[in-house]
Amino acid sequence: MTAGLTLAGVSRNFGGLRAVSDMSFETARGEIFGVIGPNGAGKTTLFNVIAGVHPASDGRISFYGKEITGSRSDRVSRLGIARTFQATNVFKEESVSENLRRGALFGEIHSPLAFLRRCFAGRAPAATRPDIDEIAAFIGLADQMGKPAGSLAYGLQKILGVGMALMQRPRLMLMDEPAAGLNPTEKTVMAALIARLRDERGIDVLVVEHDMKLIMSICDRILVVRQGCRIALGTPEAIQADQAVIEAYLGADYEFA
Amino acid sequence: MKTLAWAIAALVLATVPLIFGDRYILHIGTMVGIMTTVALSLHLMMRIGQLSFAQVAFMGIGAYASALLTMRLGFPTALSFLCAGLLAALLALLIGPLFLRIKGVYFVLLTFAFSQIVNLVFQDWTSLFGGNNGLFGIPKMALFGYRLTAASHYYCLAAVLAAVTYLTVRAIRRSDIGTVLSALDENEALGRSLGLDALSWRVGIFTVTAFFAGLAGSVYAHYLGFLSPPAFSFWTSVDAIVMNVIGGMATPLGPVIGAILLVPLPELLRDAKQFQLLAYAAILIVFLLFFRDGIVGYLAKRQRATS
Amino acid sequence: MLATIEQIIVNGLLSGLVYVIMALGFTLIFGIMRVVNFAHGELYMIGGFLVLVFYSLLGLNYFVALGLAAIVTAALGAIIERLLLRPLVGRELSGMIMSLAIAIALQSAALIVFGPAEQSIERPISGVWRLGEAVIPKDRALVAGCSLAILALFYAFLKYSRTGLAMQAVAQDPEAASLMGVRPGFIHSSAFAIASGLAALAGGLMAPIYTVGPYIGDLPMLKAFVVVILGGLGSVPGAVVGGLLIGVIESVAATFGNSTLALIATFVVVLAIVLVRPRGLMGKAA
Repeated sequence: MTAGLTLAGVSRNFGGLRAVSDMSFETARGEIFGVIGPNGAGKTTLFNVIAGVHPASDGRISFYGKEITGSRSDRVSRLGIARTFQATNVFKEESVSENLRRGALFGEIHSPLAFLRRCFAGRAPAATRPDIDEIAAFIGLADQMGKPAGSLAYGLQKILGVGMALMQRPRLMLMDEPAAGLNPTEKTVMAALIARLRDERGIDVLVVEHDMKLIMSICDRILVVRQGCRIALGTPEAIQADQAVIEAYLGADYEFA
Repeated sequence: MKTLAWAIAALVLATVPLIFGDRYILHIGTMVGIMTTVALSLHLMMRIGQLSFAQVAFMGIGAYASALLTMRLGFPTALSFLCAGLLAALLALLIGPLFLRIKGVYFVLLTFAFSQIVNLVFQDWTSLFGGNNGLFGIPKMALFGYRLTAASHYYCLAAVLAAVTYLTVRAIRRSDIGTVLSALDENEALGRSLGLDALSWRVGIFTVTAFFAGLAGSVYAHYLGFLSPPAFSFWTSVDAIVMNVIGGMATPLGPVIGAILLVPLPELLRDAKQFQLLAYAAILIVFLLFFRDGIVGYLAKRQRATS
Repeated sequence: MLATIEQIIVNGLLSGLVYVIMALGFTLIFGIMRVVNFAHGELYMIGGFLVLVFYSLLGLNYFVALGLAAIVTAALGAIIERLLLRPLVGRELSGMIMSLAIAIALQSAALIVFGPAEQSIERPISGVWRLGEAVIPKDRALVAGCSLAILALFYAFLKYSRTGLAMQAVAQDPEAASLMGVRPGFIHSSAFAIASGLAALAGGLMAPIYTVGPYIGDLPMLKAFVVVILGGLGSVPGAVVGGLLIGVIESVAATFGNSTLALIATFVVVLAIVLVRPRGLMGKAA
């Protein structure tokens, strides 16, 4: 098993509050890795620490052997870790195809120096028309290319978010509650898309999600977080049988499918 | 084709003051050119959502730098001119990483304090900057061995500077950089998640705008031959802001129109000096309340409505 | 004769109290409306001119004139807020630019009505008190006394009146406040009116000590600005501490050195504070 994303003793404090505490785990190449936990368990903080939105207070994070502890979100992205957002997050005024183009463009001309290098090297842009069309076809938005992103249905905007992340050609995709706000049909589409990310494009996926059915059906392994701590890690079957996990969710309205 | 027609129209319009040759009109034209450059420099900052009082400070730094390099160190004026822009840009590059982490109201306050400090230094360091008595005897400019003495020379120089700044800003906004800038203004978090190093872009833009403001200062210094701190005060920043509001901020044409309309205003209202400021304030209020997109935005909207 | 330390501190506190009154209004407007009010100095100037009219020209009692000046300016403030600032609520930069326009309009109006000359106002009280080594001019003491009274009234207003409590609620969380039935429009108008009244009081108090002219508001505005950044935009205790601090710092600088250098130093401090702790020394944490 090759270690992809590796967390060793990662903590994150907000003032006196410890939102993530001594978190350690590794994801494997080609794995869909789920993170679940009750509300306020620290899942979102954990996600943001990996994505570089908040720096870790303690511990180390590496990605395929490269140290990324303390890297800000833009650098994390350029190192091959793309992310999607819980709520829809697209450039609403721009067309679908422009949104996709920006997915590749911003990593390429991430700074003025990078822009100048591109100018003088005379390199072709990373995102050419065929690339954009190919990703659009992959996520199923090929017939919406000219529409302003803000005019798409909620579910399609979330799908577009996945497409923009894909344009970065990531090795790992971090997904923050991809099913949140989607109707059952859209959830099925999203679940299939996540599985195809790995199966057809060889991308590792780390997904934070509330929807147990989705998590149990697509993940290879699942991490259970409670009060900022890891309480279990294993296959969906093992997690469903885990006494500690059942206790963590006791009283909460969760059903294991 | 349309662009060509516009370019010819602009060129014709720009030669009108030369044909009349009236010193007074040439003076206004020169000031329009200088203020257009400053207003465009502010325009680019406003496009990334940052209202900056620092641009006029950069203009002042360029003006004094150019004058002093020529007078004290005997630099050829062409070199002083270039150094004025480069020094302002260098300063922006140094303070940018500190300043541009701050956004919104706090950035305004920060640049306000910065411009106050720069202006107070001009006032207080009399041995170098001449203080409130001013700095006199700044030599006329010489470019390519040709001495610029007549008012018309400076008019041409200012017009060329304004045109170059305009074309640069326009090119920036139409290139991929323009995409970056609008993303920074619209949704920085999303841009960063896609790999955009937002701070470095903000610093880059700040540096470019400081460069042009510095050049404008240099032309100002050698044209008037005299510098004093009030020329670079808070109120000059206000003028540049007003030009952007009235012209409109959607396209770089806005601040150009704003400068063309506002710079001559004090001259037109010369007979009613005390009503000058009131008219100025009234125009600004009307635009803020009723024409939020400025003149260019209003015309564009009307054109869309009729077609 | 070198001034003693007591004298320097007394001078500083005397002028500092006026800065506090200016800064209170400035910080109130920012805290509630998120507008940096560049017209605040002009409201100070209007206060000075109104005292000139009521006290010197119409011969009213000084305190009556001061009160009237505050009320008239407050009413003017409420009108300005309703007509010019209300339409721009939620657009920070436009609000700020509008306040610039208001500043220009008020200044030019004063220029048209009263002319550019600086006019002096007879002092309602003169003479000095001695307090140990320190000399306290009675007119300055009067200003300080009035400032303290205004400060106490303002504090009581914020703490005990319904409107004052509602203002604090809006400053803390506008959405929650509006859910609880606070009408933001009314709060904005009253905040701007009160702030305008406070600025007019400061202008009216200082008018007999200095002169009155269309440009007298520029410097107090700058001072209020510095004080409020030092104390934290939107923070009332910050404005008090910041005002007194700036008063004393200036007094020290005026005694020992060059006042322009002191001003540069103050702005450097302001710059550093915005960079490191943008919410000011006593402002709410992020």
